[in-house]
Amino acid sequence: MTMTAGVEFRDIVKRYGDTVAVNGVTFTVDAGSLVTLLGPSGCGKTTILRMLAGLESATSGTISIAGRDVTALSASERDVSMVFQSYALFPHMNVLENVCYGLRRSGVAKASAIERAREALGQVGLDGYDQRQPSELSGGQQQRVAVARALVLRPQVLLFDEPLSNLDARLRRQMREEIRDLQQRLGLTAVYVTHDQQEALAVSDRIIVMNKGRIEQNGLPRDLYERPATAFVANFMGESNQARAMVKRLDGERIVVRLGDAEFIVADNRAADGETDIAIRPETIAIERGAAPAGALAGTIAKAAYVGTHMEYTIDTAAGALFAVCPRVDRPLAPGETVTLTLASRGIIVVA
Amino acid sequence: MMPAAPSPVVTLRRAALLWTAMGLAGAALLPWYAQPDGVLAFDWIGDFGGTAEASGAFTLVLRHGFWWLWPLLGALLGCLSLPLLPAHRRTIGTVLTALAGAGLALFWLQGLAIGVNGWTADWLGAAFGAIDGRQFGIGAGATVVLVALLALLSLGLAARGAFKGDAFIAGAVVAVAASIVIFTVWPVLRILVQAFNTTEGAFAPALLLERLSAPKIWALRCLWGGGGCGVAWNTLFLALCCGAGTTALGLAFALIATRTAFTFKKTLRVLTILPIITPPFVIGLGLILVFGRAGLVNQFLDSAFGIAPTRWIYGFQGVLLAQLFAFTPVAFLVMIGVVEGVSPTLEEASQTLRAGRWDTFRTVSLPLMKPGLANAFLVGFIESIADFGNPIVLGGDYGVLSTEIYFAVVGAQLDYGRAATLALLLLAFALGGFFLQRRVVGTRSYATIAGKGDAGLPVALPDGLRRLAQAIALPWAAFTALLYVFVFVGGFVKIWGRDHTPTLQHYAKAFAIERGPDGLLWTGAAWHSFWTTVKLAAISAPLTALLGLLAAWLLARQRFTGRGALEFATLLSFAVPGTVIGVAYVFTFNVPPLEITGTALILVLCFVFRNMPVGVRAGMAAMSQIDRSLDEASAMLRGRAPQTLAYVVLPLLRPAMVGALVYGFVRSVTTVSAVVFLVTAEYELATTYIVLRVINGDYGLAIAYSCALIALMLAAILLIQLLVGERRLGRRAAVPATAPVGRA
Repeated sequence: MTMTAGVEFRDIVKRYGDTVAVNGVTFTVDAGSLVTLLGPSGCGKTTILRMLAGLESATSGTISIAGRDVTALSASERDVSMVFQSYALFPHMNVLENVCYGLRRSGVAKASAIERAREALGQVGLDGYDQRQPSELSGGQQQRVAVARALVLRPQVLLFDEPLSNLDARLRRQMREEIRDLQQRLGLTAVYVTHDQQEALAVSDRIIVMNKGRIEQNGLPRDLYERPATAFVANFMGESNQARAMVKRLDGERIVVRLGDAEFIVADNRAADGETDIAIRPETIAIERGAAPAGALAGTIAKAAYVGTHMEYTIDTAAGALFAVCPRVDRPLAPGETVTLTLASRGIIVVA
Repeated sequence: MMPAAPSPVVTLRRAALLWTAMGLAGAALLPWYAQPDGVLAFDWIGDFGGTAEASGAFTLVLRHGFWWLWPLLGALLGCLSLPLLPAHRRTIGTVLTALAGAGLALFWLQGLAIGVNGWTADWLGAAFGAIDGRQFGIGAGATVVLVALLALLSLGLAARGAFKGDAFIAGAVVAVAASIVIFTVWPVLRILVQAFNTTEGAFAPALLLERLSAPKIWALRCLWGGGGCGVAWNTLFLALCCGAGTTALGLAFALIATRTAFTFKKTLRVLTILPIITPPFVIGLGLILVFGRAGLVNQFLDSAFGIAPTRWIYGFQGVLLAQLFAFTPVAFLVMIGVVEGVSPTLEEASQTLRAGRWDTFRTVSLPLMKPGLANAFLVGFIESIADFGNPIVLGGDYGVLSTEIYFAVVGAQLDYGRAATLALLLLAFALGGFFLQRRVVGTRSYATIAGKGDAGLPVALPDGLRRLAQAIALPWAAFTALLYVFVFVGGFVKIWGRDHTPTLQHYAKAFAIERGPDGLLWTGAAWHSFWTTVKLAAISAPLTALLGLLAAWLLARQRFTGRGALEFATLLSFAVPGTVIGVAYVFTFNVPPLEITGTALILVLCFVFRNMPVGVRAGMAAMSQIDRSLDEASAMLRGRAPQTLAYVVLPLLRPAMVGALVYGFVRSVTTVSAVVFLVTAEYELATTYIVLRVINGDYGLAIAYSCALIALMLAAILLIQLLVGERRLGRRAAVPATAPVGRA
């Protein structure tokens, strides 16, 4: 199948009365890529998706799909499809009728509509489920019907509105892999909305983190996690410790971050000298028993919890209480023990 | 891939030109004015163009000198200029909106300005010069032009970006709004304005004050001295008593049905169906059979103690009793919801805090029910104010507003000014009650059900309260059942109270069929009105359902400017008492431009617009249970608005459709108040026929006929259920939309 076309969102503003839901958002989605809108509830990500779908109209700004301005077109006139959070399968139609619906409405003859619907159901692994009612399917199967129903129209853009939030954890991982696989195999352009950062990291080519109607950061998944531009992104993408630290520039590429008595060399080309906010990833803190030598970060275990796959510790240090996870569960540390902390360079992020 | 759709501008132009052509064809080829025997008689073809009565609009203008039709035809002709305009949606939209809007305005202005006797006001003649033309009610040609102009207006508005650019939604909104304005708002305003006018139509606001302050309306003689009070006080007093009584009875029933281990709870619920299928005066009839002069009580007192029969039942007490019987089921329905809405967890919490059952009821349950009690009271109040059937049958000398309006128009008085003044008062009372109720229902109640499951068990009633509720409710229920039994039996005895020989003579008189030489002869006295009723109700029920559900869909699913106003107008038309609507219709529609008094059409329109709000409410209730994302999914899958409506919304709305059809039919059959003004000898309805029989004391026939009507409605309900069928859903059946309140 051919590569589908890209999306351009330019200076979009959406107001409901006095509240501004989306406040001047601009981004593009490359053809054949999957871009995720990530953010807490109320950040405007779903509104953006619905404006792209044509279910809401933008207050100002332009939306184009494949170079064509679609801002004024209604939902049924745009060449996009959407997978709804609730799946929105028509309860009075069986699986085949659901998948055929869009084809029939666009004037495809019945016989070829059925043929194409069967093909789409095959693509999502639902051969032989034609005559089932949606209510007779499991959550994962309903999800697949919803995907097939959107896919069968070969839309220029496929939209996903929190498609996995109604599934249990195990199924969620399986479905997100299937969606990603299908999107890459068919070369679809897709926009995906979620509030789950792990899901976003797993499926996306790019991630756009939203907050209060604005874009906080637009980048590659790895960059967002390892080089968050703002404290908000650092916090939202995985867990992090907030701390104050003295920063001193070493050269154009590196800085020295001073935490308590300890100093760490971190790759950074933006931060200025002085006291600043930093984020520390809990999984990058290495813990050793025993008192710290001079120049190292000393700490005392305040709390310890065994959670199966790893240990979780809260450690009092000169830089404040730090939360750390440790994969070693065989000889856990007890509260009150004195420890030495070593921070990996990639785990220290200057956020402001 | 997908077939390429033509560009929006091309589609718009094509649609607009098509409607323009249709309007022009209607103006040229069909008679502009109404034909005496209907346009389908085709007796006008011979004279077409010859006489003004049988001419199309263009012939009228060119040959008969009806120059005032020029401007509106000009607006329509102007739409032909569309291909000359730049291919820009907004520009075309603006031009269309302006032309069609002007055309519509001119249509009504000329229609209102020139009537059967030429100019309707002297200053118009002075301004425009004398004319020798006269206008009759609009006919087929004018209707086609009107529809075309409305369609062009919708296209124009949609092209200008209103209604999200969707011409179908624009058309639906314009159609619903226009029909509500023409058939509810305009007549009501017309009759209210008449309250300020003299009988001849001159403006005289002082007259309103004089009429309003008439002692017949406001006298308080019943409090001191002798004689009766004014009708306004009568109406209010009756409504207050009815509201309080039905609320108390409804609460008693609801407590028994939900909070006790009463064995026959299920049968109590049957009570709620009865008033829906019962014509409003049947209870009154039953009361006459028990308490009337020839009723059981009087006959017994006469024979046992020699007490002369009295007319005790006729008057305040009789009407109140009948209304209590008739409207308690409605209050029961409201109160069940309220009592069940009190969270059992709160009651359990109260008990764990050392409160006994009585304390819990007094300090937790009852306060939580307060908004619901107020709602039930206002429902009873409003029902009583709007009631016509019971006061006319049992009122005697006790006049209320609805019956006074009737007597002001029917018979020798024919005083529209007085009727209008009384209607103004009645409307004020009804709307007052309505807005109070909306406020009560609108206030956030802390008792309503949360989304979370509530695992608690309702606390049993304190013993004393349970006994009290049972002592009130059970005899009442038994007596209600007894009334229905009497009504049923009454149809099979010769003369109730005097000669109880079993007979079929009443049924024979009403429904006799004889075999004549040319086949069956429907000789029964009731057949004529019976078939008229069935026919008109069967015509109006589907129209009611369609219009109601369309309006419900617009209100529930679409966001557009004026949505609030449209919803308000629909709700308002529900609050207007039937008597007001009836007198407004007969007053407004007996003169051009819409001259339909005395036709079957006016009855159908009255049914449709009286009952449509029920369809709207049922539709909106059902729509709120259908996930909005289903509509959106259809739109995403290339389904346009009409397709979404046909393939997704309507199939899912089947229960609401059944509801709307049933209520549309049943209420058309049982209504008295509005149609009593509109029936004629040719189009007589069952209910008005029965009421006249009751007033004349011909109880046997009235009873037989009422029973036949109840049977008919049960049959109709079953038939509609069968035809429309169950909603095909793989999951558990959805909760049916709550039964809307019946109204006389």
